[in-house]
Amino acid sequence: MIRMRRVTKIYKGNVYALEDITLDIEKGEFAFLVGPSGSGKSTFIKLLIKEEEPTSGQIYIADTNISQLRKWKVPYLRRKIGCVFQDFKLLPHKTVYQNVAYAMEVTGKSRRLAEQQVPEVLKLVGLGHKLDAFPDELSGGEQQRVAIARAFINRPPILLADEPTGNVDPSLAEGIVRLLERINEAGTTVIMATHDKAIVNTFRKRVIALENGRIIRDQDRGVYGYE
Amino acid sequence: MNKIAYFASETWASLRKNLILAVAAIAVVAVSLGILGMVVMGWNMFSNMIKNAERKVGEVDIYLSDLTTEEERAAIEAFLVSIPEVDPTKVTYKTKDQALQEFKERFKDQPELWEYIDENPLPNSYELMTKDPKDVGLVVGRISNEAPFRDRIEDVKSASSAIEKLENIFDKFRQIGIVGVIALAIVAVLLVSVTIQVAIFARRREIGIMKLVGATNWFIRWPFVLEGISEGLVGSAVAILVALAVKVWILDKLIENLQFLRLSLSPGLLAVLFPCMVLGGVVIGALGSAYALGRFLEV
Repeated sequence: MIRMRRVTKIYKGNVYALEDITLDIEKGEFAFLVGPSGSGKSTFIKLLIKEEEPTSGQIYIADTNISQLRKWKVPYLRRKIGCVFQDFKLLPHKTVYQNVAYAMEVTGKSRRLAEQQVPEVLKLVGLGHKLDAFPDELSGGEQQRVAIARAFINRPPILLADEPTGNVDPSLAEGIVRLLERINEAGTTVIMATHDKAIVNTFRKRVIALENGRIIRDQDRGVYGYE
Repeated sequence: MNKIAYFASETWASLRKNLILAVAAIAVVAVSLGILGMVVMGWNMFSNMIKNAERKVGEVDIYLSDLTTEEERAAIEAFLVSIPEVDPTKVTYKTKDQALQEFKERFKDQPELWEYIDENPLPNSYELMTKDPKDVGLVVGRISNEAPFRDRIEDVKSASSAIEKLENIFDKFRQIGIVGVIALAIVAVLLVSVTIQVAIFARRREIGIMKLVGATNWFIRWPFVLEGISEGLVGSAVAILVALAVKVWILDKLIENLQFLRLSLSPGLLAVLFPCMVLGGVVIGALGSAYALGRFLEV
């Protein structure tokens, strides 16, 4: 599903964010991307949604070389990749329902389709009873569930989560990752960047460990591995 | 249909949010287009006046004294026809009675100008056309210097010199007007672009999320483009109303009251001018939003 070949990203001022990354992530996999701050996790995610361009190397998503993707096609790439972030990125003046429906609206889906699917997906993430709440009326964990519902509403083959438990109460963090696991079980490839040791050690998924922009470990059913 | 409703509601919401800026932008669009309209109408009026006058440019009028005898008149006519630069078929004699009749005809709406005339003050005259309008000066000189019975010729007149002066003045006015319109249009484009920049800034969070969930670039841009264009459209509508008011309450009055100037607006001018003003508003709005989008919206 995702192939990286000798991918290097150098930011201005000769800062190596990623260096010579080569890896494959198969369809239906669940992978943790771990490493301390500044190890290149966020750059990894940004390269996949073409928010940044690699300095060298090739990235393939579903057999498409995204380095050669024309600019106007980038939105269609992003429709294949759901994204969840530490800061939720919800619209404060829209309700839970509207926030999720928004992702359908801007990709040209009909309002009727949204009326069918949005409550369904919100029920899936456990918020079926809070359709009309505003984000600031929800806990961090609930807001992240809304964000996950929005990322999932268009059924993308890939879901990227960048520190999704970072602003969530630790007791609720596991529930968030369970949700991602369920989405993964439904067939979506999930990549989650995190430095939450407990979570990684609990779930026992593939662990890709980054340090100073290099892969130092890539292990199935791995553990966090940093002290 | 769904999309159109979405764009319309986004545009309207955004316009309402920065109403003051939007009103300022609309006002400048209206002023620039309004001045354009007035310059075009004024220029048209005066160029029509000059055209009316120019029809007489090749014309020379020779006014004869009332004391001129029939023999003297015949000699003068023979001389006029013999001038090589004069078109001999266009030498016409106009008696003072004909002259008065023409005068009455031309000012029939203002009878006070001629009602109380007892004795006809207009002279007998010859009207002639030169073969080439540029020879008017030469012909005037020949008549003044070589004609027989020159003491019977009271005056020799041509229209060309006055018209030239007038044309120069109106050309200056037109140039100043066009420069002013262009300068104002640039200000209008910049002001529209400021309102769009503010709108983009106010919605930067939403734009980020739209990009994230895969909205196409044009889907993100359209509401801003529509906002700019609708500012341009409203501005042009205001400008058209102002231009129409100026036409009805000022220009039509001038034409009516200054008939001797033979002012007029070409028929069909407004049918061309007003759509052009609307187009100008759309172009100003589109340029303004394009400029803002190009600078402040990376998609």
